[in-house]
Amino acid sequence: MLAGEPMLGYVGRRLLEAALVLWLAITLAFVAMQLTPGDPAETLLAASGASPEEIDRLRADMGLDDPVPVQYIRYLTGLFRGDLGISWLQRRPVLSMILEQLPATAELAVAGIWMGTLLGIFLGLLAAIYRGTWVDSLATTLSVLGLSTPVFWSGILMILLFSVHLRWFPSSGRGDLRHLVLPALTLGFSLSGSIARLVRTQVVEVFRMPYILAAQARGIPLWRVLLMHVLRPAAGPIVALIALQFGFLLGGAVVTESVFARQGLGRLAVQAILWRDLPLIRGIVITGAIIYLLVSLLADFLHAWLDPRLRERPAGQ
Amino acid sequence: MRVYFADAKRYLERQGQEQPTLMRTMRILEIPQLQARPLPRPLLRQPVAVLAILWLTGVIVGAAVIPYLAPEGPQAMDLSRAMLPPGRGGLLGTDFMGRDIFVRLLWGGRLTLWMGIRALALAVGLGLPLGLAAGSLGGRVDAIVMRLIDAWLAFPSLLLALTVLAILGRGLSSVAIAVGLAAAAPYARIVRATAREIRAQPYIEAAIAVGASPLRIALRHILPNAAPALATFAAIQLGWVLLHGAGLNYMGLGAPPGTPEWGAMLAEGRDYLRAAPWVAAVPGLALTFTVLAANILGDRLGRE
Amino acid sequence: MRRLLLFLLLAAALATGCTPRSEGRIVYGLTLNPTGIDPHINASSELGIPLTSVYDTLVYQDPQTGGFVPGLAERWEVSADGQVYTFYLRRGVKFHDGTPFNAEAVRFNLERITNPDLASQKARFMLGPFERAEVVDEYTIRIVMSEPYAPLLDSLSQVYLAMASPAAIQKWGLEYQLHQTGTGPFIFAEFVPGDHLTLRPNPDYAWGPRVYQHKTAQLAEIEFRFFTDAATRAPALESGEADVMGEVPPLDAVRLQKNPNFRIQPVPIPGLSLVYFMNVTRPPLDDLRVRQALIYGTDRQVIVSTVFQGTSPVACGPLTAVTFGYDPAVCQFYPYDPSRAATLLEEAGWKDTDGDGIRDRNGQPLTLDLYLMGWGYLPDIVQLMASQWAQLGINVNMQKVTYPEALQIAKDGTHHLLPFSSSGTDPHILRTFFYSQARFNWSKVNDPELDGWLDEAARLFDRNQRAALYSRIQNRIMEQALVIPIRDYVNLNGVNNRVQGLRFDAQGWFPWLIDVTVQQ
Repeated sequence: MLAGEPMLGYVGRRLLEAALVLWLAITLAFVAMQLTPGDPAETLLAASGASPEEIDRLRADMGLDDPVPVQYIRYLTGLFRGDLGISWLQRRPVLSMILEQLPATAELAVAGIWMGTLLGIFLGLLAAIYRGTWVDSLATTLSVLGLSTPVFWSGILMILLFSVHLRWFPSSGRGDLRHLVLPALTLGFSLSGSIARLVRTQVVEVFRMPYILAAQARGIPLWRVLLMHVLRPAAGPIVALIALQFGFLLGGAVVTESVFARQGLGRLAVQAILWRDLPLIRGIVITGAIIYLLVSLLADFLHAWLDPRLRERPAGQ
Repeated sequence: MRVYFADAKRYLERQGQEQPTLMRTMRILEIPQLQARPLPRPLLRQPVAVLAILWLTGVIVGAAVIPYLAPEGPQAMDLSRAMLPPGRGGLLGTDFMGRDIFVRLLWGGRLTLWMGIRALALAVGLGLPLGLAAGSLGGRVDAIVMRLIDAWLAFPSLLLALTVLAILGRGLSSVAIAVGLAAAAPYARIVRATAREIRAQPYIEAAIAVGASPLRIALRHILPNAAPALATFAAIQLGWVLLHGAGLNYMGLGAPPGTPEWGAMLAEGRDYLRAAPWVAAVPGLALTFTVLAANILGDRLGRE
Repeated sequence: MRRLLLFLLLAAALATGCTPRSEGRIVYGLTLNPTGIDPHINASSELGIPLTSVYDTLVYQDPQTGGFVPGLAERWEVSADGQVYTFYLRRGVKFHDGTPFNAEAVRFNLERITNPDLASQKARFMLGPFERAEVVDEYTIRIVMSEPYAPLLDSLSQVYLAMASPAAIQKWGLEYQLHQTGTGPFIFAEFVPGDHLTLRPNPDYAWGPRVYQHKTAQLAEIEFRFFTDAATRAPALESGEADVMGEVPPLDAVRLQKNPNFRIQPVPIPGLSLVYFMNVTRPPLDDLRVRQALIYGTDRQVIVSTVFQGTSPVACGPLTAVTFGYDPAVCQFYPYDPSRAATLLEEAGWKDTDGDGIRDRNGQPLTLDLYLMGWGYLPDIVQLMASQWAQLGINVNMQKVTYPEALQIAKDGTHHLLPFSSSGTDPHILRTFFYSQARFNWSKVNDPELDGWLDEAARLFDRNQRAALYSRIQNRIMEQALVIPIRDYVNLNGVNNRVQGLRFDAQGWFPWLIDVTVQQ
């Protein structure tokens, strides 16, 4: 927030930025689909063995015969009618298809991020405080294991251990909290790696700052130094990273979804892309963008709140 | 915390001081923090770093010599020797088609490293200039670049990857581009966040006050200070690109079947997990060691 | 006195235990996440696994005899010219929403399926030369074909042509998929795409075909889940999360078989075996000798024993051995014979002149574009094929593609080799793949004689005559080396031993869930 800027102006500016990002993102989706070879009408109807006349009719219905700029305008203005349209492939309202999948995705993303952040901060702090010792090596190795182990591999190992042998947690589907444990752990483990590494680097950097020395010299206890003087200023990039991860999770948890037999936006997105279902792609991109924007807004606020220096001296001035 | 004190002590010793006192630390606050770095030990005297260098050298040398060691290539099959464990089946065992896993691993090292390096080069090549410009120049440049990066990030990376694969066709080169493009945006954002952080420091204010040009500030003051975090993040990104390349292979969108790229080997070995665990474990461990080595080196080099 | 009370209580407990009731719950693992599950619209085999028990069909096929038995139709007549079918419907049948089932409902369903706006992917084609449906009276419907069409009863016995409630279809419109309403033994209770599909028993069910052993559903609930990742299927069975699982990977199946808690129920699937279509229009596959060499040079026995652990038979021709009309004579065609393959290639002018290990002709190396999809262990199969062919000096360009991409490639004809496999009890399925104008004519064959036979076979009603004609068709396909047959499809169902009574219909894919019980 710029110093002295009225709240209303700030909100307006953020909204404008959000609209700009949304427009850029769905335009990107449109361009991407234009660049992809093949004809959506044909792809959609090839499976149904429609006659060439039927394909032509569908192409006209879908507006694919119009010049690209006209298609683009219709693609954009379709949104202002207030609905996300009908999926070409499933012929169901895009909105209800997305709403069906959103809770599962959000639940997994939140649980995975939470697990990953907790694990990441713990490992990162441990490594930073005991820098150069065996604790550091162990914590670093663990976090790198998270970074370099594909989810489809750690996931199946977790299933074999916790589900088949120990029988602690179910390995598939949704339901109570127990169903969420293994996918969230798998996802969290893979996210924790980059968070831990960043926490370690940031904390080590901050440790070197003279004001830590000053705090220490004044006799402030370790936990307070860590919390108030180390983690808070180190938090900026960490929060940014977590926000980023969240953005990725919306479409990127598809592997986790498939390993744990879960529904989710990721799998819907893959389907939409493979079948070139433009209305569905548009809906998913918009949903992803809105959530991403909300999360990054939250991250910006958190960042400013955590690091008072930014409040006094915004980079934009 | 003892470690922290050791740092402080070492620093103060170099300043010719004995013990930290409030007055002295207050003075230190005015000294640019760059000078406060403890001198790192030479890389070759750190056992972990040496191990990391040895591993990476081993992978590179293995990748270089394997065409001479196993000229028949990574696909040579002997079905009578299918799924033999390490020992009976050669150094690292054989897979379900009786192919030597050690040979495949070395052949795969070529593909895996080359894929990772290309993707990383793309990510850093795009992300670094964008992020640095946004973070150090601020103002309108920051606003424009950030909206672009936001849109890029808000766009599902999977959609990006699938589109790239649809346009360029399948194969490891397309995977490298798809993954590299997806990794560029977060890299840019981290660069920007780090640059902004540093820009908020008093000494940058001072440099601006004495009239240093924005380019000079970005390149001379911000970039060197941001280097440790950026190097670490680039090393992390190597893990990320290999991981996501493997994910595309798992979804059946990457390399042709049988390609010994490590992620692909791991995805393929999964089907034989209970009967022949080494088929998946070997490439999995190789992947982990390589990312670990890259992380350690990125980290240590970043400190120098 | 106390004893008497106890006795009475026991008797009462036994009495309630004897009255028919549904109890127990199972989780049934599906292996695909279909893009849609409306049987009239979509073509996936997976959708029929739950929906076969939600809907009834006019007739049923007895898997033992291959004959047809009454379902929603009590009896039927076929006109002498084979173009008019008259069905006399069962009375007193109600859809799950209470709508009565009658001739009008049948007409509504058939018209829905054949309406081009529905863009039906399978059902519409199963009706063949359908012309119109006429309501004769409340319980009599007449289906008129524009030409004789023998496979109609087979088609009508499948879930794709099942009878849905007209009221529900009109009420739900685009969302009908989530609210499917039939007359079957189970009610479609809840469907969250990608997550689960739940069936609950239909208490009013009293019109089951005689191929069902029970009058009503024995289970209180069945939940279907989607296990798309093959490696997680056996673990889900072993952890007790799923009770039945389709398509268990062969290695896991071999292991589960040794476990006393589980059994493997392998079901051979009638229809098109797993084949590689050879594009006869694209050189060098326009040369019959090259195509023949490819089949001779493929050691299918090794593929089946390595990839499938011997759990499925080697395929000899386009039809699997359990399909009506299958001719075992096709097995004589191409035994594994690499030297024969080499000779054929030499005759066709493909020799290794530059000593690089790959045959060439006029400076062109013998390189084939082979595509594959991710299913059916194709990635493993093609690696073995490529290594066998490499020894013959044939180079293969492998590319993994998705189904929509495969459709595009097939249409453009840019492939040499493209795989497919499909299910169907009637050999009429061959028309879908080898008729010159067919939508899945991935061999790009254009053989007027073959077209004529395929047309004629659909018009023949005599089973022996049909079988003879289909035998000729299969032989022609193999003589012309249009496909490389790999294996007969076998669905390896993993079943927890607490589940009893699991049987499958004639299609092999679809379980008769009404008869399934569990031991608590």
